[in-house]
Amino acid sequence: MVQFGPLNRVNISHTDLVRLIVILSLTISCIVITAVSLSEHIGTIYAQLFYYPLLYATYFYPKWGLYLAGVCAVAYEILAYVYLYPDTGLLVYTTGQAVLFICIVAVVAYFTEKVNTSETRYRSIFETSLLGIVLFDQNSFAIRMTNNFLSQMLGYTPEELVGMTLPQLFVSKEEQRKFFEYLGSSEDVNNFETQFMTRGGEPLWVNLSWRRVGDNQVSCSVIDIHQRKCAEQAAEENFTRYQQVTEDSPTCIIITRDQKIMYTNPAFHHFSGYTAEELAGKDLLSFLHADDRPDFFSLLANPEKSGGKTGKLEYRFLSKNGEIRLAAAFFSSIHQKGETSQLVNLVDITEKEQLKERIEQDNERRRGIISTVAHELRTPLQPIMGYLNLLTEDPKTYGVTDETRVILDRCAKSVDRERQIINKMLELSVLDAGKIPLSYSVFSPEEMIRSVIDAGGYATKAEITVDIPHTITFEADAGKISSVIVSMISNAVNYSKPPRKIRISYQSSSSDTMHRIAIQDNGVGITNTQLDEIFEPFQLPDSGTISRKYDRIGLSLSIAKKYVQMHGGYISVDSIVNLGSTFTIHLPKNRNMAAKNS
Amino acid sequence: MTHKIFVIEDDQPILELMELLIRKLEFEPVLVSNAIESLEMIHQDPPSLILLDIMMAPMNGWELLAWLRKDKKTRDIPVILFTASPSVREKMAELNDPHLGMLQKPVSFTELKKEIGRFLS
Repeated sequence: MVQFGPLNRVNISHTDLVRLIVILSLTISCIVITAVSLSEHIGTIYAQLFYYPLLYATYFYPKWGLYLAGVCAVAYEILAYVYLYPDTGLLVYTTGQAVLFICIVAVVAYFTEKVNTSETRYRSIFETSLLGIVLFDQNSFAIRMTNNFLSQMLGYTPEELVGMTLPQLFVSKEEQRKFFEYLGSSEDVNNFETQFMTRGGEPLWVNLSWRRVGDNQVSCSVIDIHQRKCAEQAAEENFTRYQQVTEDSPTCIIITRDQKIMYTNPAFHHFSGYTAEELAGKDLLSFLHADDRPDFFSLLANPEKSGGKTGKLEYRFLSKNGEIRLAAAFFSSIHQKGETSQLVNLVDITEKEQLKERIEQDNERRRGIISTVAHELRTPLQPIMGYLNLLTEDPKTYGVTDETRVILDRCAKSVDRERQIINKMLELSVLDAGKIPLSYSVFSPEEMIRSVIDAGGYATKAEITVDIPHTITFEADAGKISSVIVSMISNAVNYSKPPRKIRISYQSSSSDTMHRIAIQDNGVGITNTQLDEIFEPFQLPDSGTISRKYDRIGLSLSIAKKYVQMHGGYISVDSIVNLGSTFTIHLPKNRNMAAKNS
Repeated sequence: MTHKIFVIEDDQPILELMELLIRKLEFEPVLVSNAIESLEMIHQDPPSLILLDIMMAPMNGWELLAWLRKDKKTRDIPVILFTASPSVREKMAELNDPHLGMLQKPVSFTELKKEIGRFLS
């Protein structure tokens, strides 16, 4: 297709067509008039006529104007030769005319082209700009012109925008107010950040800069900064949130780089007594007790080594007023912008440690009191028991009749019971202190249970069946397990009514990790609420009637429970009221499990 | 010759009782209520066995025991710790002394007889 018009116009527009017709008719008219006037020898003045179509064409289409000038010059020369030959003088004159209008057209074409090119350049900049550009009236704020980019940015068509005023684009009255304020100052404005509303009703962050360009017009560039602004807002929110977290944290937070303190939170200021300014840039280690520095340093330098756990249980810090404060420390690394910092979290355990110390002291004092009380309670029992024994041992020497002897025996029994109660109370208090070691040996539980039954004479009080294989052996503290068995059997006997039936059986399979011995009775049973209490000292099933009847204070079960726990095992109870209870002792088969569990 | 048994104990009623009980077992009791005094007596005339209270003043049973074990002459005398205090057993286990026994007050005549019988037949 033939190209008409300037630069990249490919199609012939309506305007171009009109121009083309005008130019062509003028050119043809000029040629006809020139031919007629030459043939009639009217004169050569008609050469001037060619300037009309030529300059007109050149003004709109410089290149084509030049071509047309060439065509016209040739046509004029041909006509001149046809009609004026051999008048050499006139031929030279007409040739001069032809050259002259080629020259004039060339000059005009040159300047027109230049003007067109720069205008096109500006238009292309305007249209292809990655800035939104809007030209508006300084007084009415009516939008005169916008580029495609702005219309794309806001979702309007350029025509729609031209019908609007600039203030209509702002998201809120507040933003409009700010805009007018800025515009009111006579200065040109750079980087005014505000929010526009898109056609879809979405707010859009933009950056505006404007210049007054004469004729009360203002040219304003619009940059889309929405993403940046949103990211900034999110970052700011994050920052505020993190700041709040660290500032409000009850844990001390310290950030160091190369041991130097970069950041400390208020919790650490409270902990150390120093202010942020006093701490900034200082060596963190200098606030630590000298003995604790190497360990602290090794973890600070290699936080990964600690695996997020505290290194030592506690580090000693020296506060501003010279006090030693204790803290558990947790270390981790922070990588930011290619630099590595260390994050140290400290948990203040000073008070906890003090409390622990006080509890320790209290326990120590309590043990002292118990020891003294035990001594004072037991000592007077000795003469009573001793003399009673002496009287019953040798009744003749002391003139004791059979009748008196029965009474004395009863007294001896009471003293013995008192002795047992004191012993159990003491045992329990020592167990609470957790100071009793276990002495392990291998024994047969079956033999142990039979000897307990024999020694306690339980077979006369109840029908006891023992169903434990001979081959089973326990590795445990025989003395303590024996005491547990005694408690269990005497319990079963004491809390059941004749005819008493007690069955002791081994419940564990070979794959089981625990030995299980069940002691089943047909006694009064225990209600669910009582189940929780029976292992507590001074608690008994139905304390009203039964305890009085059997007169025990429920220490045996507490002790039994503790002994089994020390082995890493436990005691479970199943009970149905009035049908009986089953106490099961669960004891680890593997001795190492005991150490782990307890 | 009957065995001589020292009873070192600061509680007078117990001392009186032990005299009777030991005689009943057909041994010869020597009663001392002060550990420091007893040291000299033991050194001069070493007994076959000592029943030793722990909680005493000014010298307690453990201190006396330590003195006895230092001296070659008294090192092997069986000592039965005779005490009303708890936690004696643990301390005893640490010492690992084959000539050391223990009775927890209040002790029955049978228990006393049995424990003394371990050392003196």
